[in-house]
Amino acid sequence: MNIPLRQWLDRLFTSLAMLSVLLIVAAMIGILLPMVWRGGSAVVFRGTVEFRRMQLEQFNRGDSAAVRAEAEDAARIRQHAYEILDRFAAGLDTSELETKVKQLHREFGVQLANREIPQKQLSELRSVSKELRDELLKAFEAEDKTQVLEHLDAVMSHSGDERLKGTVAAEFFDLARQYRDTVANVDLRRRSEYADSLKQVKDAMRSLFGPRPGERLPALPIEQYGSTRWDQAKQNLDKLLWAESWTGSGEGQTLTKSRIPREEQFAGTALAGLFPYVRDNIQGMLRPKWTFYWQYFTDDSMSGHYFGGVGPEILGTLLITMFAIAFSLPVGVVTAAYLVECAGDGWLTRILRMCVNTLAGVPSIVFGLFGLAFFVIYLQPKLGLPGSSSIIAGSLTLGLLVLPVIIRASEEAIRTVPQAYKEASLALGASRFRCFMSVTLPVATPGILTGLILSMSRAAGETAPILFTAAVAMGPIPTSLSQPTRTLSYSSYDMAVGDKMAMLAPHNQFGMVMTLVAIVLLLNIAAIVVRGRMSKKLRGQ
Amino acid sequence: MITQSANLLRTAAKFDRPLLLTPAQDWSGWLLGKTGRALLMIITGTSVLAVLLIFVFIVREAWPFVQAHGLGEALSSTSWYPTRDPAQFGMLALVFGSVQVTFGALLLAVPAGILIAAVLSDIVPFRVRQAVKPIIEVLAAIPSVAYGFFAVAVLAPLMQEHLHLSTGTNALNSAAILAIMAVPTIVSVAEDSLSAVGRELREASYACGATRAETLLKVVIPAAHNGIIAAIVLGTMRAIGETMAVWMASGNAAQIPSPWWDLTQSVRTMTATIAGELGETPVGSMHRHSLFAVGLILLVVSLAMNLFTEYLLHRAKRTSGVHA
Amino acid sequence: MAKDGSQGMSALLEPIALANRSTITLAEDIRADNETLSPVRHNDVMPAIIRAEKFCLYYGVKAGVKDINMDIFPQSVTAIIGPSGCGKSTFLRSINRMNDLIPNVRSEGTLYVNGVNVYDGRINLVNLRQQVGMVFQKPNPFPKSIYDNVAYGPRLQGIRGGRLDDMVETCLKDAAIWEEVKDLLGKSALALSGGQQQRLCIARALATRPKVLLMDEPCSALDPIATSKIEELIVGLKNAYTIVIVTHNMQQAARISDCTAFFCMGELIEYDATNIIFTKPSRKQTEDYVTGRFS
Repeated sequence: MNIPLRQWLDRLFTSLAMLSVLLIVAAMIGILLPMVWRGGSAVVFRGTVEFRRMQLEQFNRGDSAAVRAEAEDAARIRQHAYEILDRFAAGLDTSELETKVKQLHREFGVQLANREIPQKQLSELRSVSKELRDELLKAFEAEDKTQVLEHLDAVMSHSGDERLKGTVAAEFFDLARQYRDTVANVDLRRRSEYADSLKQVKDAMRSLFGPRPGERLPALPIEQYGSTRWDQAKQNLDKLLWAESWTGSGEGQTLTKSRIPREEQFAGTALAGLFPYVRDNIQGMLRPKWTFYWQYFTDDSMSGHYFGGVGPEILGTLLITMFAIAFSLPVGVVTAAYLVECAGDGWLTRILRMCVNTLAGVPSIVFGLFGLAFFVIYLQPKLGLPGSSSIIAGSLTLGLLVLPVIIRASEEAIRTVPQAYKEASLALGASRFRCFMSVTLPVATPGILTGLILSMSRAAGETAPILFTAAVAMGPIPTSLSQPTRTLSYSSYDMAVGDKMAMLAPHNQFGMVMTLVAIVLLLNIAAIVVRGRMSKKLRGQ
Repeated sequence: MITQSANLLRTAAKFDRPLLLTPAQDWSGWLLGKTGRALLMIITGTSVLAVLLIFVFIVREAWPFVQAHGLGEALSSTSWYPTRDPAQFGMLALVFGSVQVTFGALLLAVPAGILIAAVLSDIVPFRVRQAVKPIIEVLAAIPSVAYGFFAVAVLAPLMQEHLHLSTGTNALNSAAILAIMAVPTIVSVAEDSLSAVGRELREASYACGATRAETLLKVVIPAAHNGIIAAIVLGTMRAIGETMAVWMASGNAAQIPSPWWDLTQSVRTMTATIAGELGETPVGSMHRHSLFAVGLILLVVSLAMNLFTEYLLHRAKRTSGVHA
Repeated sequence: MAKDGSQGMSALLEPIALANRSTITLAEDIRADNETLSPVRHNDVMPAIIRAEKFCLYYGVKAGVKDINMDIFPQSVTAIIGPSGCGKSTFLRSINRMNDLIPNVRSEGTLYVNGVNVYDGRINLVNLRQQVGMVFQKPNPFPKSIYDNVAYGPRLQGIRGGRLDDMVETCLKDAAIWEEVKDLLGKSALALSGGQQQRLCIARALATRPKVLLMDEPCSALDPIATSKIEELIVGLKNAYTIVIVTHNMQQAARISDCTAFFCMGELIEYDATNIIFTKPSRKQTEDYVTGRFS
């Protein structure tokens, strides 16, 4: 090969290699950035007045008077929007009118029955009322404006009837008059279309502002509040302002999305005014404010992670991790000490080492299987505990999982303690045990600590071993070690795949994962810092 | 005068503590040593015991299935319908899913891992290396469920949209995620073995006029081949044993895609099957036993790979010892 | 000054050195004809505090030292010289059984310290090592504070409180480092200079109140100024301790020791008063070595 070609190949190789480094760096950023960014928005975001109301009512947090005042201010601005809506809906939402008419007819019947009037008059009045009802219903149903007016005129022709004065039936005429007004500037042929659209508008209003004032409060907290977050509010506002439809093009193979402003859709109707009004006053209606919701890390969640935070999950993760470490740290350090200080190179040591390596290579899901078969089903009933998943079973399973990590780190740490220290100690008349406790162990501590922190981060992040031994997606905060618990890792899985409610609150999905990743990475950074300190200390600084 | 000083000196250095143990001390010391050692042995034995227990309990739970159906039979059929009546336990599709996803991941991770190891050991200056290593460590530290979450919540919609696939959770997605997860393992072991190849070999190659790429490809990597193979095997172990990420990213369809090499279809791995189905099986059912049998296969495979890496790393140590 | 000192010392030590010679001769005579030697041979002039008889130490099959017969006398400085790998450190470390740390070590013969065979199965290693202190080639203070380093030995013996403070101070003064570190007692010992660290190690060794102090090339890692300070210290300590020092540096041996032993190939070639070894050695090998003709 000639020289230029070889140099070119060399450069190609170098750039390929550098490219792979860049790729892996990009992968790290690409994975962490959305988690941190979107997860961070679970904690720092623009909270609306609905959020503060939810915090006040559900978590008893915040200045009650101020929040109430704020909510009232917002309600005052919202009121006008509701009025516009009502005015329009009255004419359009005929189902409501229909039931009203039917009810009026029934009430009139009851009223007549209570009055002492002759039988003949009674049946006459009944048939009048029935006629009025039917005419009105026909008017509500008709799509042609002239037909509507004909029916309404038929109703109004009875308005002079003296017998009906002062009775419930008089209200028929009010309804007819109202409807005439409403119909005046509505294109009735598009009524069914309006009805669908109106329902969407109403839904959007509800998701923006929650149930209407005076309405009966729904049972679920998730339905009691409007948009608690500004980003959510903006999405809902978009739904309010734009009508989206999927239309098939050609053979109906691909659906294309089209967006029409609702202002245009409802042009010429009373409702048209709603959209600019809401758009222009949305700030006042929701009053977004930057909120640092640090209680996210301590709050329990509500309505399946829609509201609230990850407090129980953090607690569960910490509990399981701590107990796992409490089991594996002493065992691991003692094993490491034995491997370095006592064992020679005999068959026993070789078997021990092989077992440690095997343990390190067992897939985490097999640990889960083992934990279920041994701790949960075999051991727990023998100890008088229920044979169901529990913190203690999960901790022991995780403890076995991280045992090789601790053994290897501790062995390395103890092995690298300079022989000179041990010699000095022994020469001063320390027994081997004293020598180990007073010199070797303290010098090895930072190394052991590094291993400890790393195995904590491993234990906190593992999911598969606790799937069947300790974790649940929903449940109360455990009060004893024989109960299962929620954990960050398992809830991250559940919220991403299993939990339908969580899909509605992506910021909480990401927030859960972010919390997990943050804990794990913080532990890793701590390990790196300890390692740095350790080498500094050994240099005598 | 001299005698006097000698006498004076003679009194000064008296041994005041007995150099010999009394029988009681001797005996108690012996006892203490023995009990201490025994105690150490017991605690140390935990890892041995753990390995034994894992084998015993996995085999015990898998045994009824092996007896009733036989692993050979299970591994020759692709119909995995454990809840049908009669139930069918063909694990071939699951094994295939694991192999396909792992192989796909290795296809990406092995070249990338070795190249990165080469960059760290031979190409970049020390300071850059110190900056890149923590990034690799961070990638190794991110929990697998977070990778899975990324696959479902970020990668899957992107794939679905830009590659026009029917589903974003498929073999390709899992392979990509697994590749990212396997890279740190491969890099750290491969870099160790590349660094263990001494300066002398590199200098000899440069002295013959070889370029850096030639030195690496023709001299250093062949010299470090044992360590690099070990790195690949360890990466494979990481990928094949991974549960959460593949469970979330693979789409969970127990089928062999057609054509079989199509990575854009949903598959299901052995690990995901266990994770997904075990929770719903009653204690003592054949379905549960079959899942333990799947676990047994995983356990045996990982044990075999483990022994293989140990053998390789042992050999690598020996050969590099000869070079040094 | 060092020269003056060594001259004065050799004059003072002449009788003792003579006595040494007689002891060695005596030992050789007895060894020739009987095996029922009493553990300690009382000599009219001075009893040996350390006595090796046919002492051998093997690393596996390789002999570290073989067939050593040697008496070391109290309140003197005994230097062991010899080429690298001659077994002088091995012998020194045999005295307080530091060689136990090395796997596959085996000993033969006897090595008496204060009349007790230290290779006896019933030996109290803790008491032995407390009373036979050791200073190593490389300064090896623990990565703890200066105070904790010195207090390490006394604490092992259960000494606490004010008495401990006093002991630390005394030992640091004895090791001639008190003035330099008295305000830094809480600081890490690793922050000291090499010479200071070595004197700290000496202070640490003194704190267990040893009777014998073994020094394994204590100055080899130090610069000349630190070396001269340590040498001064050794001479000063001689009055209260028995010091055995292994050294590479023949001038150092000549300056500070009373008796000198020459080791070669794991064997004791010659052992005599220092001035005799350096002026008129009886063996050719010794002469070659001390005059620098050794190859």
